[in-house]
Amino acid sequence: MSGLIIDSDACRGCGICIKSCSYEALEMKDKKAQVNENCVLCGMCIESCPFDAIKIEKEKTNGIELEDYKDIWVFIEQNDGEIEPVSYELLSKARELSKERNCSVNALLLGEDISKEADKLFAYGANKVYISEYEILKDNLEEIYVEFLDKVVLDYKPEIFLFGATNFGRSIAPRIAARVKTGLTADCTILEIDEESGLLNQTRPAFGGNLMAQIVCPEHRPQMATVRPGVMEAVKKETNTKEVINIDMPSIKEPSIKILENIIEKKAESISDAEIIVSVGRGIGSQKNLALVERLAELLGGKVGVSRPLVDVGWADQKNQIGQTGSIVAPKLLVTFGISGAIQHLAGISGAETIISINTDKDAAIFTVANYKVVGDCVEILKSMISKLEKKCEKEQVV
Amino acid sequence: MNNNIIHCMKEDYIEYLRDESRTIGRAESISFPKNEEEIIGIVKDMYSKEIPITIQGARTGLAAGAVPRKGHVLNLSKLNNILGMRVDSEDNYYVTLQPGTILSQFKEKIKLRKFDTTKWDFKSKRVFNDFCKKEEMFFSPDPTETSATIGGMVSCNASGARSYMYGPTRKYIEKLKLVLSNGDTLTVERGKNFANGRKLELKTDEGMNIEFKLPKYFMPNSKNASGYFVEDNMDAVDLFIGADGTLGIITEIEVRLLKLPEIIWGVSCFFENESAAIKFVEEIRSNQKDIASIEFFDKNALDILKKQKEINPGFERLPDVDEKMKSVIYLEIHTEEEKEALIDLKKIAKIMNDSQGSSKNTWVAKNDVGLNRLIFFRHAVPESVNMLIDERKKENSKITKLGTDMSVPDEHLEKVIKMYKKDIIKEKLESATWGHIGDNHLHVNILPRDNKDYDKGLNLYEKWAKKVTELGGAVSAEHGVGKLKSKYLKVMYGQNHIDEMIDIKSKLDPKLLLSPGNLFEVGKRSE
Amino acid sequence: MKIVVCVKQVPSTNEVRLDPETNTIIRDGKQSVINPFDTYALEEAIRIKEKIQGEVIALSMGIPAAEKILRDAVSVGADSGMLLSDRSFAGADTLATAYTLSLGVKKISEVDLILCGKMAVDGDTAQIGPELAENLKIPHITNVSEIIEINDSEIICRTITETGKRLVKTKTPVLLTVLKDINMPRLPSIDGVINSLDAPVAVENAESLGANKSYIGLSGSPTQVVKTYIPERKNESIEIKGDSETKSEKINSVIKEVI
Repeated sequence: MSGLIIDSDACRGCGICIKSCSYEALEMKDKKAQVNENCVLCGMCIESCPFDAIKIEKEKTNGIELEDYKDIWVFIEQNDGEIEPVSYELLSKARELSKERNCSVNALLLGEDISKEADKLFAYGANKVYISEYEILKDNLEEIYVEFLDKVVLDYKPEIFLFGATNFGRSIAPRIAARVKTGLTADCTILEIDEESGLLNQTRPAFGGNLMAQIVCPEHRPQMATVRPGVMEAVKKETNTKEVINIDMPSIKEPSIKILENIIEKKAESISDAEIIVSVGRGIGSQKNLALVERLAELLGGKVGVSRPLVDVGWADQKNQIGQTGSIVAPKLLVTFGISGAIQHLAGISGAETIISINTDKDAAIFTVANYKVVGDCVEILKSMISKLEKKCEKEQVV
Repeated sequence: MNNNIIHCMKEDYIEYLRDESRTIGRAESISFPKNEEEIIGIVKDMYSKEIPITIQGARTGLAAGAVPRKGHVLNLSKLNNILGMRVDSEDNYYVTLQPGTILSQFKEKIKLRKFDTTKWDFKSKRVFNDFCKKEEMFFSPDPTETSATIGGMVSCNASGARSYMYGPTRKYIEKLKLVLSNGDTLTVERGKNFANGRKLELKTDEGMNIEFKLPKYFMPNSKNASGYFVEDNMDAVDLFIGADGTLGIITEIEVRLLKLPEIIWGVSCFFENESAAIKFVEEIRSNQKDIASIEFFDKNALDILKKQKEINPGFERLPDVDEKMKSVIYLEIHTEEEKEALIDLKKIAKIMNDSQGSSKNTWVAKNDVGLNRLIFFRHAVPESVNMLIDERKKENSKITKLGTDMSVPDEHLEKVIKMYKKDIIKEKLESATWGHIGDNHLHVNILPRDNKDYDKGLNLYEKWAKKVTELGGAVSAEHGVGKLKSKYLKVMYGQNHIDEMIDIKSKLDPKLLLSPGNLFEVGKRSE
Repeated sequence: MKIVVCVKQVPSTNEVRLDPETNTIIRDGKQSVINPFDTYALEEAIRIKEKIQGEVIALSMGIPAAEKILRDAVSVGADSGMLLSDRSFAGADTLATAYTLSLGVKKISEVDLILCGKMAVDGDTAQIGPELAENLKIPHITNVSEIIEINDSEIICRTITETGKRLVKTKTPVLLTVLKDINMPRLPSIDGVINSLDAPVAVENAESLGANKSYIGLSGSPTQVVKTYIPERKNESIEIKGDSETKSEKINSVIKEVI
């Protein structure tokens, strides 16, 4: 029988596990912890127990031959013949992992007229590229792709299979995982090979990033994971072996989903979706300095956000306002100039990944949330940053 | 004096000349002290030079209490540490904090039990450990603007929707430490020092005795934040709550927490006509238990919100209201058991169906996610009106929102609402009304389109102040008097009683330097 | 049209904190609610029902107390609920959960449309939708931002892709996962809440569903959580010093690193 086991000899009845449980699944009976029917086996209590009295036991039920599975495979995602950058990031990660498993890194490249891209895959870490070129692979349709992937798992038995956590990756990976009945870990941020077991340790954020969970898939193959774009680093390095292998078309039924129209568009224009934001507050001094901020945002490929006082005085439009009464933003990079950090404003930027703040007041509240604190004159620093970036642009153009 | 602490009023600090009332003032210098010592230094310096001091928190006030007229701005937003915790024999928990502590942050800390206790004394740390094991607690005063500071809330005796059940900030203040205008300090603790009839004696921490007579007026029998709190044999601490920064500078506050009810449900009830809504409120008030707040929004407020929703991305996720609906009553049920809450809900449905409404036209929030949506909705109403006024202010700087904050005793609710409506229609003014109808306390907001409207609005305001006083009400129920409402305080109490207030002030602040213009004009004594 | 909406019970907040005495993780938000992303799927189902008629069944796998969220679903307009609850379902990862849910859908039978939220706020995996569709051998479409046309046999909808938008047509039965842009979920009325108290909520267990023991719960879950921890946060900010030239140089290099 599988389930949560509390060793009543080891349990001292301290009650810590009861506090750690979010499901009210543990209770105290006769000074010993006991589990009730609310338990979802989340495992939170196991970590909490100072006496190692709690464990989850699991029957082994799977009869597959793990040794038959080998190599690390990476699903290469293409959109309109262009390879998604995350695929290169995964290849480089796979190359790193393959050293410890002593295996090959295989890139699976599906698409129409796509073989010209194979060279790049070798450059980022693939040893072999498995390729299938058919017109039906042009649009990323799950119904068709799952048949190809099924064939790959069946014929080649990958030990590890990695996907980018793009919209399509997050749609096709679970589909194939369910087809071949294996485990899949979503949105991993850390992948490493466990020294002892040789398993793929997959670490991912849960509860909106408030908790990290390390996950393994011990008895099923392939070990599958999706990885969010930008988390791993793409590293260029030539490999000696450059083998290209063709995969035949599996049998495919007429798909029930038809694409009526494909609209390619740039990412949404609003600041709430922007990846890079340069924001500015009252500390910018004069309205004319706003042009500098706009220029910097342009150079960085970002958007301009403003704090409420600028909207109040009519220097900026409401639609650019960040904060409780404006937009809530979650950019990768936020550079703030002359924003003191009123609480309403801070509420709007709590999702930003990296915050660089420039302000004259060394005690400004914005510094309590900033990753990088710069005390200084906003306008001077702005001007200097712009001139440096502009010079760099010119140089690149000349080259 | 140390120039690193006192700054000249440069353009950088221009935002400190205004508050949420949209009034803009003037000042020559500003400081952001981080501890009591710095405050004492600054105050002594100002005292010797006879420079007036305006005390500020988060500048979210609506009565311009934090807007300086001249002199020095003492901004307490950096004085924002939470200092310790204590528990009494009845298991009540108390938190000592500095006045710059922001309400929303304080609430969050209580909820998550995440306090930075590194600098706390051993006793406080021990109490904190127990606190973490207890059922969830909360600080009940809940002004809509949660970015207010606790110091500001004490200074205007702030309330909020839930004060219908729990009462205003005053009830939850146990202890205050103040710096007086000459730099001396004073500690007042609930239950320690009472007036003898209308005579009060205070002793500063330095050992100085201050004795004075309290004013002779009687406070209205309705929700009140107008002028000094006085009554026979009163507790000394109550004098300093709601004093609008005129008596001293608050440097430390001890607040009392309550146990959070197990069940908090919100219900928005929509009505196709306003008189049905008012009848509903009266029925709820006399027959329904477990109600923590009763809030009201009129059709104009809903329309303005709808308009702002179209142009402001921040409001995009607000739920749509049926066009037919003319007013909304928001109720909050606080109780210990879900069973009881369901019985309450059924009763509310019946009362609603009996008062020309339909219980189908309701929104129920039974968990935090839904409740946050309803609370966001409630908060969005004043915000959207402010945005509308800001647009108009850009064209005409004289225009500001004229928002009332008056309360009356229970029996006069319908009468005043009728009066407000009639006067607004008669003067052809634009308005939006919302507020704490359970406490007979509505914020009628006149939204002037031009100078003529503005003047008409001011006249109405004065007329209403007189009428509300006649009915035994208060001219300010929760925002405080500040500078904008001092003339209505005079309407309410008359110059003689105002003079009595000034007498108290001159005992504690002999050079009349603290927050000049708040509550009264000190230059205009009747003698 | 018969529509199944998959809903999950989740804690109302994602906050975690450390117990100051024991240094163990405590999760706050013991109030349980319908996963916010699922409320958009539920709202869309109710809108479809209002437009072309049909039946909406809320389906959940969870502990017995999860019956409450199925009543919540009924309070806003679902016709009934089905709760899959059994101790042997505990410890299920997405694969085992999807298998179990597929048994529920089969029990409901003759389902034309299954709607799921984009993902659950506590797990963030976004895997249940596609895995459930695979178990049922029906097609799925993820990231649906708008249903443009719908009748009993066909649906035209808009989806968000990596490069833009796509207009697709699909036959039923089909499973869609919806984005929050799709609608604005309603709150229940008092009448809705009161009626939901007596609404039919079927409770099924492993036996009544005819579940294969090796595909459910912990036994049917290929993945295992080895450990959980609170990530370290960079709470100290790094100060960049120097004259304006040096500062701007350093800021630019930090920016380069980040983007």
